[in-house]
Amino acid sequence: MSSPAPTRSKGAFAARVLANRSLGLDHYRLRLGVAGFPRSQPGQFINVRCGVAGQEGPQPLEWPEGGLPRPTGPELAGVQPLLRRPFSLAGRVDKDDGTVELDIIHHVVGVGTARLAELGVGAEVSVIGPLGRGFTVVADRPVAALVGGGVGVPPLLYLAETLQDAGVRAVAFAGARTARALPLRIDPSEPPSQAGWPTLCTAEFAARHTPTVVATDDGSLGVTGFVDKALLPWLDSPNVRAGEVAVYACGPAPMIKAVADIAAARAMPCQLALERHMACGMGTCQGCAVKVKAAGDTGWAFQLVCKDGPVFDANDLYWE
Amino acid sequence: MTHDEVNLSVDIAGVKLANPLMTCSGTCGYATEYADIVDLRQLGAFVTKSITAGPRVGNDYPRVVETRAGMLNAIGLANVGLEAFLDEKVPLLESLGVPVFVNVAGREIADYVAVAERLDEVDVVRGIELNISCPNVKAGGIQFGTDGAMAGEITAAVKAACRRNILIVKLSPNVTDIAAIAAAVVEAGADALSLVNTFTAMAIDIETRRPILANRTGGLSGPAIRPIAVHMVDRVYRQVARDAGVPIIGMGGIQYAHDAIEFLLAGATAVAVGTALFVDARCLIEIRDGIADYLRRHGHASITEIIGALDRE
Repeated sequence: MSSPAPTRSKGAFAARVLANRSLGLDHYRLRLGVAGFPRSQPGQFINVRCGVAGQEGPQPLEWPEGGLPRPTGPELAGVQPLLRRPFSLAGRVDKDDGTVELDIIHHVVGVGTARLAELGVGAEVSVIGPLGRGFTVVADRPVAALVGGGVGVPPLLYLAETLQDAGVRAVAFAGARTARALPLRIDPSEPPSQAGWPTLCTAEFAARHTPTVVATDDGSLGVTGFVDKALLPWLDSPNVRAGEVAVYACGPAPMIKAVADIAAARAMPCQLALERHMACGMGTCQGCAVKVKAAGDTGWAFQLVCKDGPVFDANDLYWE
Repeated sequence: MTHDEVNLSVDIAGVKLANPLMTCSGTCGYATEYADIVDLRQLGAFVTKSITAGPRVGNDYPRVVETRAGMLNAIGLANVGLEAFLDEKVPLLESLGVPVFVNVAGREIADYVAVAERLDEVDVVRGIELNISCPNVKAGGIQFGTDGAMAGEITAAVKAACRRNILIVKLSPNVTDIAAIAAAVVEAGADALSLVNTFTAMAIDIETRRPILANRTGGLSGPAIRPIAVHMVDRVYRQVARDAGVPIIGMGGIQYAHDAIEFLLAGATAVAVGTALFVDARCLIEIRDGIADYLRRHGHASITEIIGALDRE
């Protein structure tokens, strides 16, 4: 690789909304254009300010004659999220003009994500990133199992791209509560296998040459049940050699634990992207603590998901 | 608007600050975390995260929760401890080139004194900010800050250990009469006052019917507390600090220049920004420049002209 120009590892940027598309059942794909965004890795995240664009500070109140002022300041204009919201990168494209196109996929769960869902093309959004420590491609493992639950799927799209470039053969396992809550587009000509065989059934993973198994809790699409269970038939099939596989996962805590146990039982390297509520996203507030194994009386120490993670080696985490 | 130069420098008990902007303890780490976002050399002074004699791992997770126009934290004074601070963090602070105040917490008075004695020998450190107001640890901290006699006792003890450093005492708002505590610590020798720390508060998960924070309670900060903090600065300024000639560092929910100017008018000599740094640390520069604009617009040559300039008629 040619020696890169010295750049900041992270920064604060004014991003421009390039596209904002609904993915069904309150999931959205937001594409942001950012000039000069630093190099990033899959698993890293951006911290996004979700308030109303163009309304950054309090404005003086105008007193109309014979009437009352109409408050418009950020504290009075309605419910505004105070803190930024962290989103893992779902993909990145570097344009010739130096603009970087970043994708995030989010699920509307509160006032911050609701604001993001309303953004129109051309709106300005304040973004800090890239933040955290991402996935590391395990060099001596030519096969990758990518396991994602709900909004844990997006960082695996970015990872699938990187693995493809590295010559690693990837298979994705994407789970959701129900078919419409899966943040992926299903190819109507190739529905997901109900028996759990990987096919090019989702547009996003297919574009990265990654066959995919879909699992839904209610059985409305693909395998019925949790995604970690859907991993087993493939993992234990005769044409998969355990010594060649590395596992990369992101999703809700119970899924993460189940995947870690599955990988540990087969002595497979396993990297997990964790989720935590954060205030600053860069190691200052110390809000997003997680226990990791450590020497000493307790056997554990705290690290920070935002700075030391969000991706951790499953062997390093201290499970209670 | 004219572009005449305005003088933003202030004096905190003999320590000269190029401008009144400071960081709130615990919201800016040890100054390296935000290096890619904002140039902290533009600050008036830097306040570190709390330092205790030994390292502390802090509270269990969850430690933070956002509330409307604010957030609760219960970090539990997680910090590297005095020795690691001296070895690893002080060299970083030396490169900042602005006065550094170290926030000090402890369990016993002797802990505070021991840390203050060591910090008195560190050149880059210009003052101690005595944390007798942390609501998130089971022993120490706030117990000193909610009782006037104890607050005075610990202030006097640490003041005796500060031969070179100034002593700033950070007050808790979780008291019936903050002016009484302020009077007690000023009487005991405090050189300056920081007010206010966070408000003890609770958020509940109504589905599980449990407190959200592992510590059950946390400290409320952010825009939600600003009007109460402004009121407390006004009260302490009028009843204690103005006549005693003790400067106040005002804090609590400052996010915009407008907010900082409220504190200055109420009687604060300097202002510190905390929770807003989590949103965008560049606000420190915007607030500083916004204060300068305000001074020009109102025809003031120096920031000192608006400190305590609230119309109290």
